[in-house]
Amino acid sequence: MKILIIIPAYNEETTIQKVIRHITLKMPEADILVVNDGSSDETSKRASQAGAMVVDLPYNLGIGGAMQTGYIFAKENDYDIAVQVDADGQHDPSYIKDLIRPLIDNTADVAVGSRYISKTGYRSSLFRRIGMVFFSFLVSLLTNQKFKDTTSGFRAVNKDVIHCFASHYPDDYPEVDVLVKLKKKNFRIVELPVQMQERQGGKSSITALRSLYYMVKVSLSLIIGALRSSEE
Amino acid sequence: MAVNIYSLSIMFSILFLLTVIELVRKNKLQERYSLLWIFISIVFLVLSSTSGLLNHLAKILDIKNPPSLLFLLGLIYLIVYSLNTTVVVSKQNERITRLTQELSLLKQKMSNNK
Repeated sequence: MKILIIIPAYNEETTIQKVIRHITLKMPEADILVVNDGSSDETSKRASQAGAMVVDLPYNLGIGGAMQTGYIFAKENDYDIAVQVDADGQHDPSYIKDLIRPLIDNTADVAVGSRYISKTGYRSSLFRRIGMVFFSFLVSLLTNQKFKDTTSGFRAVNKDVIHCFASHYPDDYPEVDVLVKLKKKNFRIVELPVQMQERQGGKSSITALRSLYYMVKVSLSLIIGALRSSEE
Repeated sequence: MAVNIYSLSIMFSILFLLTVIELVRKNKLQERYSLLWIFISIVFLVLSSTSGLLNHLAKILDIKNPPSLLFLLGLIYLIVYSLNTTVVVSKQNERITRLTQELSLLKQKMSNNK
């Protein structure tokens, strides 16, 4: 089993090394690829110092474009499993083993680490919670599967999904969108409980001003996505 | 020739058509993107030079002032063409993203082989 951990990073110099070391400790058998999404700080240098492979994008593509770069890499180098882990330290690498287990056992194609399945002490702002409840309602409605945490970026995918993502991946705010798209293609998705930490550095890419754009864009993309046939 | 909406339209259409052709000739505008512009300038030229046709069409559509039809057509055309432009932009955006990704992956591979 070749496992690739993909870390999209945009100006995360304060946390990136810690995250990489932590992953190496918990998952020594996995390869780590940092996709440096046009950072203006030392992210790239620190990541390679910490022993990760680094792909430097010449300018900021956004989370979707950065993640897709990772998936293309995974496809070209024939990885069996790709795991997305955030560079800010929110995702605890101890859970990677839990996430990939259903993929190895072939009981699922995608595993999403969810903050809300069990009590995990994670608190977020009211506005954010409303958005999450809304998306989880919308996605559950569109897919006939209950989803608790649709915006979690902590996820593992198998080879079939890697190939699918390498050819098409949404450009921004991809997390919610791909759940519906994958369900349409009849991939099996499981949600597993994980503990998430407060971000240890950097800022959330989702500021108050962008929240509205986020909601509208993702909802629209979900609804139009539902109108597409699965072949497209 | 009196200066009115018709003569102005005719002059503008001819000038515009010539400009488009000149841009294509100088390779500043690709043929495929010039087709719609050439088409609309010919339509405008025909409509503004044969006011009978314009009047007739306006009557059918219940437009009291025939030149309004010219404005309407121009407006509709602009809306359609800007939609077309954003489609082109989207496609280019996708291609640029792909190129960026491939380029970065290639660079990573190269530095690995060193």
